Amino acid sequence: MKSWKAWKAKHSNELTLLLILLGVFVLMSVLSPSKFLSPGNIQTMAFQMPEFGLMALGMMAAILTGGINLSITSVGALSGIVSAFVLSSPWAKTNPVLATLLAVVVCVAIAALTGLLNGFVIAYVGVAAMLTTLGTMTLFDGISLNLTKGGSIAGFPSLFIQIGNGSVGGIPIPILIYTVAVVAAYYILERSAWGIQVYMTGCNRIATSFSGINTKRTLLLVYVFSSVMAGLGGLIIISRYNSAKVDYGSSYMMNSVAAVVLGGTSINGGHGTVAGTVIAVAIIQMVSSGLNILGVNRYIVDIVIGVILIAVLAIRSLAGIYDRAKLLRKHTAS
Amino acid sequence: MKKVLALILSAALCLSMAACDGGSTPTTVGSQPAADSGKTDSADESKSGTKTIAVMPKLVGIPYFTQTGEGAQQAGKDLGVNVIYTGPTKADAAEQVKMIEDLITRKVDAICVAPNDAAAVIPVLQKAKAAGILILDWDTPVNDEVVDASVHQIDDKEFGEHLVDQLVKAMGTDSGDFAYVTGGLSAPNLNAWYDAGMAYAKTKYPNLHLVTDKIPTDEKQQVAYTKTLDLIKAYPDLKGIVALSTPAPLGCAQAVREKGLQGKISVVGSAVEADSQEFLEDGSLDSASLWDCASLGYLTVSIAKTMLDGQKLTNGMELKGKDGTIKLQLKSDGKTIIMGPPADYVKK
Repeated sequence: MKSWKAWKAKHSNELTLLLILLGVFVLMSVLSPSKFLSPGNIQTMAFQMPEFGLMALGMMAAILTGGINLSITSVGALSGIVSAFVLSSPWAKTNPVLATLLAVVVCVAIAALTGLLNGFVIAYVGVAAMLTTLGTMTLFDGISLNLTKGGSIAGFPSLFIQIGNGSVGGIPIPILIYTVAVVAAYYILERSAWGIQVYMTGCNRIATSFSGINTKRTLLLVYVFSSVMAGLGGLIIISRYNSAKVDYGSSYMMNSVAAVVLGGTSINGGHGTVAGTVIAVAIIQMVSSGLNILGVNRYIVDIVIGVILIAVLAIRSLAGIYDRAKLLRKHTAS
Repeated sequence: MKKVLALILSAALCLSMAACDGGSTPTTVGSQPAADSGKTDSADESKSGTKTIAVMPKLVGIPYFTQTGEGAQQAGKDLGVNVIYTGPTKADAAEQVKMIEDLITRKVDAICVAPNDAAAVIPVLQKAKAAGILILDWDTPVNDEVVDASVHQIDDKEFGEHLVDQLVKAMGTDSGDFAYVTGGLSAPNLNAWYDAGMAYAKTKYPNLHLVTDKIPTDEKQQVAYTKTLDLIKAYPDLKGIVALSTPAPLGCAQAVREKGLQGKISVVGSAVEADSQEFLEDGSLDSASLWDCASLGYLTVSIAKTMLDGQKLTNGMELKGKDGTIKLQLKSDGKTIIMGPPADYVKK
């Protein structure tokens, strides 16, 4: 009993989010039962969520260290575009299996390279994360534009298209990829030595550095992790849309910050859970899908998400103030 | 306490959004909320046999697609079908794919889409087809066998060549520097006009010199305006601009007017009649060519309904058009429909 209560207290944030998720799910189901609850819709949401979720995970890693990764969608687009060149080449048509494998490798490799660039400038040169990633975002967009001349690269082997559109045993492949990524992120960030270093660096970089941890290397790897997540997101995106373009997924950048913050990650770094981010992503996805099914104006969907975000943050902040006041009263009274 | 509060707030938010949208009249964005929100899903299949046709433009919010929307809604009323006219708020192929997925979930009977990027929508249209939905494209072709019919407002080749003829007429000479300003780089219709125009110009007007690659403006007048200013600065000998996509000619004309170069630079392009008037007045826009957008919207719904009723399309068959009955112009492939020849708008 005691450990259950402690567990509940420690994870109260995630439990709250889970409650909200359930509430949204029930609400949407009640408003349009045969459409929202239909297997078709669950499938559609399952297809749409992973690319957003991966971006959010990548963003989360950066925010955990007190930074931010504004270049996340540009990295996704760039890795997607380079892979697209591989996939739309005449060689790919005759070797679809090899081409698909190569495309995946290329995508992750390019993403990792961009992560190294980001990480190097942020960790070793010491430029603020927001400024660095703002710059690299523009840089990567420029490279993408040059490669595509603004248009899109289209026409991939149908084997590759399966990655974003196919299912295995009824479960969409993107969800499988997403699940693997989530589990990996959980173990890497919350259960490994390096992960603890990430949290420590985010909490107090100087103290961590004096504790003997190589914060520079930690930060570098964080941005590589962030970029690889973005690259995977980009891979799913180009597979779903059978084409690669510089602005695919560009709306995910700000929404992923929203998801990460909604999920309980502190914007100053040092606190946050993978579970929280995953649940927040699901909430945003469900609100978006549910409202679209109801035929609600697309602008309003953005407004609703914005309002939910502000409301949850405000409540959290107020609850924090309330808790501290209570604690203060308790201690000053005695 | 905190959890309950958060839950109540989110629920209240979603409900209020759904409710207020359900009560309002169709918004400027063009989606048709009245059919769905607030009530349960019965509206779509309410009266047995009332079909629901979804018409999706490249984007909503520009006059061209607002007028096509009006035509489509008019057809819905006249022909007794439910028309959902909805599209993304910017010319984004990814958004269109997501919206089409949601339309599939809403179980519409037909989806008519003007794609921003043909290749991007093919996978989702295949999903729709597998769900038994009729697939049409309009305004811009998808160029794939997944569509059951393709509604073209004009013959793309004819239009591309016509614009070049208009340019030469406006320039008063068939030699000189010119440039192309286009909308979205992956829009098939705009590219078809460009390709046809360029091929035509090479053979018929060999002394016309294209100064740079076609300039994209993503269907934004403001972007066309700034890019034209840059163009004028970079190529001082520029004599003419062919502007494709309806916001572009207006933006280009705006730039020409600001620089006072109406006499020197001729701007022709595809623009909506009502908006072109002010630029045609002072000569910054020399000529605008288009077609009746509302008719296009109407025709699309008309064709979709005909096919949903089980009729096969034949050349010359009579269909209800916006201004009365029209004879269908069907190409030999049995799928492509041409609405008619382009119309030119000049100073009134």
